[in-house]
Amino acid sequence: MSSLLIAAATQLSGCSPMDQGDLGHLIAVLGTFLGLSLFSLGGGNTLLTEYHHLSVEQYCWLTPSQFADIYALAEAAPGPSSMIVGLLGMGAGWPEGPGWALLSAYGAEIAILLPSTLLMVVACLSWNRLRDSPWRIAFERGLGPITLGILFAVGVKILQTADTNPPGVVVSLLVCLLMLRTRISPLWFMAVAGGLGAFGLINR
Amino acid sequence: MTESAATPAAVTPAAPPGLGDLFTGMLLVALSAFGGGLSAWSQRIIVEQRRWMSNEEFLTGLTVARLFPGPNQINMAVYVGTFFRGLPGTLAALAGMLLVPFTLLMLVGLVYFQFHTLPAIDRVLAGVVAAAAGMALSMGFKILDQYWKDPVALLLASLTFVLMTLFHVRLVPLVLVAGPLAMAWYWPRNTRLTGNDPRP
Repeated sequence: MSSLLIAAATQLSGCSPMDQGDLGHLIAVLGTFLGLSLFSLGGGNTLLTEYHHLSVEQYCWLTPSQFADIYALAEAAPGPSSMIVGLLGMGAGWPEGPGWALLSAYGAEIAILLPSTLLMVVACLSWNRLRDSPWRIAFERGLGPITLGILFAVGVKILQTADTNPPGVVVSLLVCLLMLRTRISPLWFMAVAGGLGAFGLINR
Repeated sequence: MTESAATPAAVTPAAPPGLGDLFTGMLLVALSAFGGGLSAWSQRIIVEQRRWMSNEEFLTGLTVARLFPGPNQINMAVYVGTFFRGLPGTLAALAGMLLVPFTLLMLVGLVYFQFHTLPAIDRVLAGVVAAAAGMALSMGFKILDQYWKDPVALLLASLTFVLMTLFHVRLVPLVLVAGPLAMAWYWPRNTRLTGNDPRP
C-alpha cells in the first residue's frame, strides 16, 4: 500500500530516479557530460536547458528549485560559471553520500571539459590554416543566430524554474535591465535580492 | 586597448612565461573576476600587466575561444597555455583557472546539499534565485545587437527559440539539423573578400 502511494507521488512530480548501483550512476553521469561537451556553443551557457532536462526531468538528480539554487550558486561563485556541472554531478551523487558526491562532482566537471578542451588544443595548433577556411566562416556566421535563439530559450527556462512570486519576477526583470544598462557587479543584485528573500518579500 | 592599438611598437613583450607563471597568472585572473568580467580581467593581466602577449595575439585567442565549443574562459586558458608551452602549458593554465575556484564551489555545494532544507537558507536562496534568473535572461539581449540588421539571423534565432521553448525540441538534434542549414546559408560566396573579416 505504502509503495503504491510512493509510486503515485513520484508520478505526480513526474520524475522517478533510475534504479542503479553507485558505479552505474557515476558512469551515467560521466557519459552524459562527455557527450554534451562539444555542443557547448556560445561559451557553454547554451547547455543550461539541456542540464535542466537531464538533471530534473530525466535522471531526477535534483528538484526544480534545487536546480535554480545551484544555478544561482554557480553564478555567484568566483571562476567560470560553467562550474555548475560540478554541482550537478554533486547532486547526482548525493544520495550515495558526500564521498560519492565529490567523486561524481569532479568526474562531471572533467567530463564536460575534456572533449572541448582537446578540440581547442587542436584548433590553436592549426589556427593559421583554419582562419581563412570557408568552413570556419560559415560555422561562425551560421551558428551565431542559433546560439542567440538558444540563449533566449535558456533565459526563459531559468525564469520558469526559479518560479518565484510576482515581486520575484519583477526583481528578475529589473536585474535583466540593469545587467544590460549598467556595469554594476551582479553580486550586488544577488545580495539585495537575497535580503528581500530573507524578509519574505520574495518567496516561491 | 585603444592605446596599445595606436602604438603597437611600444609594447615590449616580456619573456615567455613558464609553467608556474601560467598557473599563477590564470589563478589571478580567475580570482580577480569574482562576480564577472573574466575576459576583461584576463586581458588586463595577460596583456597589460605581465605583457606575455600583444593585444592582437590576445584578441585572436579570444576569437578562437569563442568560436569553438567549451566555456570561453576555459578555452582562453587553453589558448594561452598552448601558445607558450604546448600541452603541459595547457594543463598548467587550466589548473590555475579551475583548481581553487572549483574547490571553493565544491565546499559551497557540500554546505548547500547538507543545509538547503533549513527555512532561513531557503528564504535567502529564493531571493538570490530571482536575481540569477534576471542575469540568465540578459544573456540573449547582450548579443542581440550584432544580429539586429540581419533578418535571416533573427528568423533563425526566433525559430530556434520557439522550437526549444514551445515544442521542447532538445539541443543536440536541434543543433545537428539547424547548424548545417544555417552554415549552408552563410557559406561565404566570395572567400577572398570575407577571408579576413575579424568579427569580434
